[in-house]
Parts: sequence; C-alpha cells; structure tokens
Amino acid sequence: MEAYFTLVRRDLEQLISSWLLRGWVVLLAAPAAFLVVVAAREDELASETLAAYVAAVLAPLSWIVISVLAGTAVSGEAGTVADSILSKSVTRSEYIWAKITSRLVVFMTIYLSIVIPFAYLIDRYAISNDTSISGVAGGVVLVGVLFVFLTSFGIALSTVFRNSQFAVVAALLTVAVSGAVLQFLGLKWMSTTAVIGGLPETFRGDTPFADQLRVLIVFTALSLAAIVSGVWVFERRDL
Amino acid sequence: MHVVEAVDLTKVYHNRYIALNALDLKVDKGMVYGLVGPNGAGKSTIFRIMLGLQRPTAGEARVFGEPMTPQRADLRRRIGFLPTNPALPRDMTPISYLQFVGKLLGMDRGEVMIRLTTLLQAVDLTSVGSQRIDELSTGMVTRLGIAAALMNDPELLIFDEPTSGLDPAGRRQTIELIRELSGSDRTIIIATHILSDVERVCTDIGIITDGRVIHHGPMAEMRRLVRQRTLSIEVEGNLRHFEQQLPELDTFGAIRFERIGSEFRISFLGAEPIPTYVQRVLDLVDRTGVELLHLNTGAHEIEEAFLRRLEEDRATSFVRASAWTTAQKLALPPANNGATVEVISEAIPTPDGIDVVDVDVDPDAEGAGQSAPDGDGDTEAEASDGGVLHSGSP
Repeated sequence: MEAYFTLVRRDLEQLISSWLLRGWVVLLAAPAAFLVVVAAREDELASETLAAYVAAVLAPLSWIVISVLAGTAVSGEAGTVADSILSKSVTRSEYIWAKITSRLVVFMTIYLSIVIPFAYLIDRYAISNDTSISGVAGGVVLVGVLFVFLTSFGIALSTVFRNSQFAVVAALLTVAVSGAVLQFLGLKWMSTTAVIGGLPETFRGDTPFADQLRVLIVFTALSLAAIVSGVWVFERRDL
Repeated sequence: MHVVEAVDLTKVYHNRYIALNALDLKVDKGMVYGLVGPNGAGKSTIFRIMLGLQRPTAGEARVFGEPMTPQRADLRRRIGFLPTNPALPRDMTPISYLQFVGKLLGMDRGEVMIRLTTLLQAVDLTSVGSQRIDELSTGMVTRLGIAAALMNDPELLIFDEPTSGLDPAGRRQTIELIRELSGSDRTIIIATHILSDVERVCTDIGIITDGRVIHHGPMAEMRRLVRQRTLSIEVEGNLRHFEQQLPELDTFGAIRFERIGSEFRISFLGAEPIPTYVQRVLDLVDRTGVELLHLNTGAHEIEEAFLRRLEEDRATSFVRASAWTTAQKLALPPANNGATVEVISEAIPTPDGIDVVDVDVDPDAEGAGQSAPDGDGDTEAEASDGGVLHSGSP
C-alpha cells in the first residue's frame, strides 16, 4: 500500500501543477460568480440559471478538460512508466488504481467545491428562487456521476492507446457522438445531452426519483465497467 | 537455485517479430554476467520479461527461483534495474526522484535521505541534485538511473547498456562503480555491445543473437580460448605477397584471416600450438621481405571470439533447426520421461565446412541449455531439451 499512496501523492502533485487544471478552475469559478450577481439583480429563475451554467459552462469545459486529463493518465506516462515506476516494487494494480483514485478525487473535489457554493449562493440570493434542496442535490449528483463516467472512460482509453492524443480524441468523440447513437437506439434518456437538458426540472424537484435513480445506476455501472476494463487491459499489456 | 533462470523463453511480438527464440539462460549468485549481442538480439526483451514488464509468449522466466509476473512487486524489490537511456520523470529533480523511488521501495524517510545523499555523491550528481531532470545531460540521467537502481542495495542488479551515452570519463566511472558493486553475494547482469566493458568487469559471458543464447561460460575460459588461437600482425611492404602466403602458415591451410589496412588478424583453426604458428609467421615475414611493425597474440580477443561464435551460429542454423526437429520427433513419451536418448547421426556438412557430429538429448541433464568449449579449441554439438544449442568445428 505504501507504493499506492506514493503514486497517488505523486499524481496529485502532477495534476495540481497542471496549467490546464488551474485554467479549468478559473473558467468555472468566474462565470459562477458572475451568475450569482446576475441572479441577485435580475428576475431569473434560479433553476434556469443553474441549468444554464451547467449546460453552457460546466459541462462543455469539463468535457474537454476531463477528457484530456483522464485520457493522458496512463498513456501520457508511456515513456517513463516502465523505466522509472513499474520496474520498481510496484504492481500494475497499484499504479492504475492510484491513477483512478487521484483523478477522481481531483475532478470531484473541483466540481463539488465550485458547484455546491454556487448552488447555495443562487438558492440564497436569487430573486426568483424555484429550486428545492432535494432537487439541487439530485442534479449535482447526476452531473457528478456523468463526470465520474467520463473520468473512468478516459482512463480506460488511456490504457488501451499508447498514444495519448488518440486516447483524448477517442474520449471526446465518444461523448460527442453518443447522444445521436443513443437516440437512434431509443435510449435517449441515457445520453448526457438528455440528462443536462432535463436539469431545470431536476433542480426544481420535478424529475421523478425513479428517473434519477435509473440514470444514476446506468452511469455508475458504465463507470465500473470502464474501470474494470481499464484495469484488466493495463494488467495484461506489455510495457 | 539460480538467481535468474529462463527456460525456453519465447517472445513473439504481434505474431510478426520473434524477439526471443526458446532462450535458455541461467545466472548464479555472485556472478557478474555480461550479456553480449548485436542490436536487436533480444537483450532488453529478456530484461523486460525478467522484471515483469512484459509477458513471455511461451516458456518461463524465474527470478530468485520464482516465476516473475507483473504483480510480483516483492521480487522486483530485490532487483535494481537500469534501462538503456532511462526515461525518468522530467519534472522531478534527482533528489525528489530518488525520494520517490525510496518511498516506492517502502524505505523510511531517514533511510531514504541517508541513502540518496550517499548515492548522489557516488554518481557525482550532488551539484545538480536540485536541478530538473530535463535539464540534465544524457550521461547525468544515466548516472541518476544507476543511483535509483542502487537505492535499496538490491541483491540483483540489471544494467541495460550502462555506458550508453556516457563520455569516456563517465564510462570509466561507471565501469569502476560496477566493479565495486560486484563481489559478496550480489549478482549483476550487464547487457552491452561494448565488449571491452564486459571484459573489464564480467566473470561470465553469454552471447545472444536472434533471440537465443549461443554461447555462455566463464569469461576466463573464453579469453583463454581466443588468446590461444588468434594473432594480430601489422606489416609494411609487399602486403599482397604476404597475404597470398598466409594460408601456408598451417599445414592444412586451416586459418582464417582478416585484413584491416596493414594489419592482419589471423585465427588458427588447426590443432598445432600457437608458438609454432608464431614462428611460422616470423619466418613468413623474413621470406616475403615485409617489415614487421607489430605482433600480438590475443589482441581483439573478445571481439574475435564474439564474431566467431556469431559466424558459427549462422553457419549451423539450418543444421540446428533440423536437429531440433529430429529431437522433437524423438521427444520422450510420458512413460519414458527421465530416460536419456542419444542420437548419433552421420556428420552433416554445413556451408562453412563445419560438421555436427553428434546430438545428445537429455532432458534432465544438469546444465541443460549450456554449451562450453572443451578446452582444446574444438567445440562439440550439444543438445538438450530438444535443441542443439552449440556446434562448432571438429
């Protein structure tokens, strides 16, 4: 376990020193602060303001940043991992689980540390407050599950592709085309677009709990499948 | 128990490229083993399998008597590895990297600090200890790789081209360091194609080509064998006339020579003692009227031996394949397992005039997979585990 924690710490340090991650935080925080001010002055529905922030700022920016940082988690270190890490007393499992842990912790910490204060401030200061606490909590959890899936999927792709650019592009494209494919298959409710599109109702507490649970279960299962596949591939590949 | 053991180790990449071809290798405790071979011979692949970084397609790799797999971190803890031109995290400094390695090895903080300061001094990197790795020269990175390999004072050290990218001073320093590290119970394996490095530090040598070990044995034995049979002479004058007379040095013309400018490297394949040949060379110098500039027995000895073994291996590759097939057909059925089968075949001529005279198949033979010169300059064909591993001139 010593090696696992050392690798987690090392990956966290690397992520924190990443300018992409720092830029992501700034680009998420600045519009959130602006929208709080707007909501306090203008007669905008709080649920619509929250949903617009997620759809226009949080989701697209996070889609790009998480795809890049998760897609390069393993493939980005392809040149050094064998020579400087896995030739030491480290197992493949320790390495890949450390990557998964650190990336999930960082992304979720940033997401929650921005979205929770933002939701609270909107709820507190918005002139037209139509949100419910359970609705906001449900929406935050749903979006969080989408990010967990994107992270897991990106890391899984980074174990498959040796070239980190391929992994990133594959992660971006998969999410981009998944909406159309799922609609074609009659599973539109499973698409990220549908989940984000339904957020105003969710924030108001109008989305049935069963529908939220269904999305939660599906994306949790998909995340687990991606993690298991990534670990399986990485433990078997030649370095 | 061997420290490192490979049995029929085979690695085929994507069903296209054969990196290791049923390779057998045994390295015992305390050896400084030089693995020598041309580029692409399979040296690095062996190491990657020995470290669990790659899986063999067939066969088995054992380290400290146990099979190595990617999950055997406990075995890797006992190994220090220096890859060729090591790729280390560019954003770290030598100090932070060695701290990181120490933590991965489960060392406590105090121990890590003591060890890293000693090692940085030993590899002459103290002055750049806080500089980023991407600002260091290739030689410095290699030296840092050596320090990382030594971090927990491992029982087995594997150095893949340790002098690659080093300037002469760095190379000398590295060789001296390896020499210091040898001895006691530590085992060292060095892969290189710089034969003089091997000659300086190794106790044993293995020659690898096309994914197979074609010769291995004590360094002294190889050196002695070659020194007895080779001679280097540099002359001035009518070189063409001198060259034409060279085959007369042996009663049956059994010599092989190579001319490099005014220097001739002569290998004597006959059985007569070397002083006789030296006397004949001096007579030839007198007779042909050339001026003798330099005469040396045993010069370029290791290179000579290495090249000779490669040539022999190429010349007998077809015969070896045939013999292997024959031996496979004669492979012992389960009921006979443990018995010894000896196949005496007719001499099979090869393109180089080398004959394979006999093939012994003994699956349980001690030292299976080894071949060694028999001391009189001849070599014999040996086969074990179904494959002829060594053949040579009668």
